[in-house]
Amino acid sequence: MMRSSFAGVWCVLILLTPAVSRAQEADGSRLWIVAGGASATVRGDCQTCEEDYPYRHGGSILANFGYRANPRMDVGAEIFWVPLETASGTLNTTHIDAVAQFRPWRTHGFFMKGGAGMAFVRNWVDTLGSGAINSKALSIVVGGGWAFRTEQRVGFQLFASQHAGALGDLKTADSDVPDVMGNYWSIGAALVFR
Amino acid sequence: MRRLVRSVTWTVLLFALLIHAAPVAAQETEPSFLSRAIESASLFELSPIAHPAKGEQPAPDPYANIRPCAGCPPRGVGRAFLQTTVVNVFYGIANLVRGQVTARVTPKTWWENMENGWVWDLDDFVVNQIGHPYQGSNYYNAGRANGLSFYESAAMAAFGSATWEFYGETNKPSLNDFINTTLGGIAIGEVLHRVSWLMRDPTKSGSGRLWSEIGATVLDPVTGYNRFRRGDASRIAEKPADMVPSTLSGFMSAGVLWRGTEHEPFEGAGQPFMEADLLYGDVLQGRSRTPYDAFSMTLRFGGGAPVSEARLIGRLLGQPLRNGKFQFSIAQSYDFQKNDAYSFGAQSFDAGLAFTQSLSSRIGLSLIGSGGLTVLGAIDSLPLGVEEVPVDEPESSAGQGVSEGPRFYDYGPGSKFTLRALLLHDRVPFAVALYEGRQLYSLDGVRANHFLQHARLDLRLPLRGPIGLGVAGEYFSRHTYYQDEARTEKIFRYPQFRTYLTWDIS
Repeated sequence: MMRSSFAGVWCVLILLTPAVSRAQEADGSRLWIVAGGASATVRGDCQTCEEDYPYRHGGSILANFGYRANPRMDVGAEIFWVPLETASGTLNTTHIDAVAQFRPWRTHGFFMKGGAGMAFVRNWVDTLGSGAINSKALSIVVGGGWAFRTEQRVGFQLFASQHAGALGDLKTADSDVPDVMGNYWSIGAALVFR
Repeated sequence: MRRLVRSVTWTVLLFALLIHAAPVAAQETEPSFLSRAIESASLFELSPIAHPAKGEQPAPDPYANIRPCAGCPPRGVGRAFLQTTVVNVFYGIANLVRGQVTARVTPKTWWENMENGWVWDLDDFVVNQIGHPYQGSNYYNAGRANGLSFYESAAMAAFGSATWEFYGETNKPSLNDFINTTLGGIAIGEVLHRVSWLMRDPTKSGSGRLWSEIGATVLDPVTGYNRFRRGDASRIAEKPADMVPSTLSGFMSAGVLWRGTEHEPFEGAGQPFMEADLLYGDVLQGRSRTPYDAFSMTLRFGGGAPVSEARLIGRLLGQPLRNGKFQFSIAQSYDFQKNDAYSFGAQSFDAGLAFTQSLSSRIGLSLIGSGGLTVLGAIDSLPLGVEEVPVDEPESSAGQGVSEGPRFYDYGPGSKFTLRALLLHDRVPFAVALYEGRQLYSLDGVRANHFLQHARLDLRLPLRGPIGLGVAGEYFSRHTYYQDEARTEKIFRYPQFRTYLTWDIS
């Protein structure tokens, strides 16, 4: 169900791009809004864990709000939400990061993105207990992609990113697991509004 | 993984389709990415430096039309990316020469690192808190040397750092290295870039000019290399305006330091030290949107370690309020302290408010309060029950410079607040009182909350000409609240006293 929803989001995004081709150029607006979806792969690991934890796949939603610092750089906040269905329940992770997105070449769409913030993790892979357990984590994001229609009010971007969530101690129903790190790889598409 | 690969394939296909559909007209008017990359690569080749004989016309500057100013570097984004990668290759070869097994990278190790994702590493404190930030400064200056702005070069530091972590070593990519290399690299890189520009005077010629260019190259090798390569090191031009500080003051100090430990108030023998303090620009006034047009730097050698203290605070934004009576600023800071009593390092961002009042025509008082976030801090910490770091660390078979742990310091984010009072004589501080509080929550290492306090009083008195005498008293305290079942709390206190001679280099 979740997978088909995200596939739908993808299709809508792709179909919308030509539809808005008549949109005007961004006339001095400094607003930067990005909304999209991605296919995500998640894996948790810890320094002392001997078990090789599995990769889990699902959809994710990404949103950016911020300020267009100049024609090649946007700064703002990012919300990246990854719900994952597992056999024993739903693992939810929400990354909230301060991010900067930068296009080295003004005439090309290539962009790089980086940021840091916090992640909120509700339940974790293989540690689901009787009740929902919330953890906070240091979040880091790096990524890159290609933006289309960078001077227009509505644009489109393809991106790949990696989020890391450093949880420290992960509280589980049974015990605490030390030095846990979650890695989230994502690849997706988004609409950009300026 | 198969699904991820499938997603990647579909995205690449989609991506190719969309690029193909781009307007043909745009392709005609804009040079392609490939042609730009080829052009950038060709510019990377060594070209002879022009040395015109007396009376001879100087060689024309091939970059004249792509420089923002006569003394500025020409802008080259592709060249910056390429040189950042070359810096990585250089460090990789250096590690191979040192016999590090982690330098034996292959496409297989690259893929494994991409599959694994970020982890925390076990390297030595100095490697992680000074070595990586310095390496990051080389990436950053690959951007600055090729005409990129502060923020663009910051992206270059992140690019170099991420590619190094994934592709430069066989060990898993380290999150703490990525943060320290990127943020520390930006801070150290911009400071070295600006200090090296203080040494250069491109309006001069002759051997003095040559030696100043060589000295600047030692501080900022990537910019120096590019200047010699392009012939800028011998070309007469004005210094870029943004590399000229509004004010400049500084001290070189040499003296003796006495430090107490948790168990002894003061050790009998003092430890010699040398310190450089630099105030570049005026952090207390002026509207500024140019990052690091004002910064302060403290660098101390000796006093318990080869490098015992490095502090950089660079203004990112400055805004006067109430007709200049108050000054709001946002700053980035880099901290490193290591001695026989404690170790601490951090990458932080602060917002501060300063109040300045003239007491006489030459004496002024400034009060500064600031608070901010520590993105990542490192602090020495021992597991409960362990009183001292074992002297005999296990020998690593992985080659020189590769640490396999255990690591006796913790990593984590936190917060920071500072109160500072300065008495200034002709805008140069001669008495400084500082209180700094920090909180660090350990995310990796011994699970604890650390609360650090640092109080410091510095007095500098002029003796004769540029020579002066300084005394400083400092007090460090650390409360560590362990997250064990018993909620153990430990308190560490380290007093410190310094006396020194200063030489005013303003």
